[in-house]
Amino acid sequence: MKKFLNAFLLAALASIFVVQAKAQVIVIANPGVKTSEVSKSDLKDVFTGASTSLGGSSVVPILLKAGTANEEFLQAYIGKNDAAYRAGWRSLVFSGQATMPKSLDGDAAVVEFVAHNAGTIGYIGKATPHDGVKVLAVK
Amino acid sequence: MKRFVAILAVSLAGALPAVSQSLEDLNIQIHGYATQGFLYTTQNNIFTTASSNGSPAWTEAVVNVSSQPIPKLRVAVQARYFLLGNYGNAITLDWASADYKANDEFGVRFGKVKTPSGLFNEIQDIDPSYIWSLLPQSVYPIGSRNSNLSHYGGVVYGTLKFDKKAGKLEYRGWAGEREIGADDGYWLNLREEGLGLPNGLGGVVTGGALKWRTPLPGLMIGASDIKNNRWEGPMTDFIPGNIFKGTGDVTMMGTFTLNPLNVPQYFAQFEHDKLMVAAEYSRLDGQGPIQFPGLPASQFKFDDREKYAMASYKVSNKLNAGAYCSQIFDHTIALGPPRYSKDWAVSGRYDFGQFLYAKAEQHFIDGTKQDYDADLNPNGLNPTTRLTILKIGVNF
Repeated sequence: MKKFLNAFLLAALASIFVVQAKAQVIVIANPGVKTSEVSKSDLKDVFTGASTSLGGSSVVPILLKAGTANEEFLQAYIGKNDAAYRAGWRSLVFSGQATMPKSLDGDAAVVEFVAHNAGTIGYIGKATPHDGVKVLAVK
Repeated sequence: MKRFVAILAVSLAGALPAVSQSLEDLNIQIHGYATQGFLYTTQNNIFTTASSNGSPAWTEAVVNVSSQPIPKLRVAVQARYFLLGNYGNAITLDWASADYKANDEFGVRFGKVKTPSGLFNEIQDIDPSYIWSLLPQSVYPIGSRNSNLSHYGGVVYGTLKFDKKAGKLEYRGWAGEREIGADDGYWLNLREEGLGLPNGLGGVVTGGALKWRTPLPGLMIGASDIKNNRWEGPMTDFIPGNIFKGTGDVTMMGTFTLNPLNVPQYFAQFEHDKLMVAAEYSRLDGQGPIQFPGLPASQFKFDDREKYAMASYKVSNKLNAGAYCSQIFDHTIALGPPRYSKDWAVSGRYDFGQFLYAKAEQHFIDGTKQDYDADLNPNGLNPTTRLTILKIGVNF
């Protein structure tokens, strides 16, 4: 019985961490991007190639190559895993409708790139220092 | 040999990530995919393959090079090796275009561009992008895929966003010239009668498409229409000699004309979470004269009513399963198996990772309005066919 209770508590704690982890990804943009908030629907459009503008600004999505923040972002806002998500982009590439977004190696690289390139928008782990970029509130 | 070279080229391109990365710094990207299919039928040989013995004669390899010199301009080119039975076995230019997207509301691309008609025409050749091994053959016949896929000319496109209660409207308009190649599947039956179109057939094509992303999340309703002007081209009639009468082979030269026609397509798609449901209806109704000097003109006519309904479900991150029913009826043909094809398909796809996948599909086909080569079916056609397809694909 004790073992069962311990296992239950562990599972409960793990689920709390998972829930907390889902809130650990933030959306960042170059300071030149006019808007400070974005709807889930518009965010999905930008990151799936359906739209290239946000709040009156032309935007370019920047992706993470892998990692926790990448998985959390795709699950929370795109509803796909990484393989399915990139397959969707390749469909656009092979039909002549888009080029693949730039994928960077880590959160710091995304911050650096977004800070210095007009119109770029990306996502990172919340704990990553993000001076030089603006954080977009997702509504 | 071409097949080997094409697969090798795609493999080498995929094995050079370092080169890809440096090209990325120059805003140049290289992508590609390759597939190998295996066909087995219990009755008729299908798609000009010897499928009743089991046929691996279905290979495709694609290389795509694109560049984005400035944010609103993209330039890209895509080459393809395609082999399916007697179709293809050649490396061709899939499309090559420059695309200027001013904003979400307006963009234009020109060159050899993909024709954005129907639900799947733009992606019907992109095997990695869907679960099916074979798209519904009623609307997307694989023997005519290369002809239907693209045209020389331009496309204007854009998305008009309304308020949340009205959704979004995507529009496409196109004009240019299309060519149906000399070895296209549309001419299969003519070829078997000794009639050939040595230059294929082509002419002016225009069209438009609307896709309404409705306020109901995941639901899209659309329609498109293709208009062909009058197309005309030289036609040959090969008459074999008769050794008993002492006559040699004769080839007559004539003219094949396809009168102006419209191809309307209506379609809908619903995607929610792991479920996708779609349906499409199309009508291909045409006629025209075949004229050989000194002979009265003969008229040909066809009236194909094409439709399908499909559903797929993502069982897990790696496994996708689906089924569709595809039907085509030619209302100009007398009742009987040659008038129709009814195809029930059950399909599965497994993604091993981001780059490698496998597909399996079983078809239950009634009727013979399909790409059946008479030479490969010398004893005539069986009214039913059971087709099994296995396919493996890699993309990067």
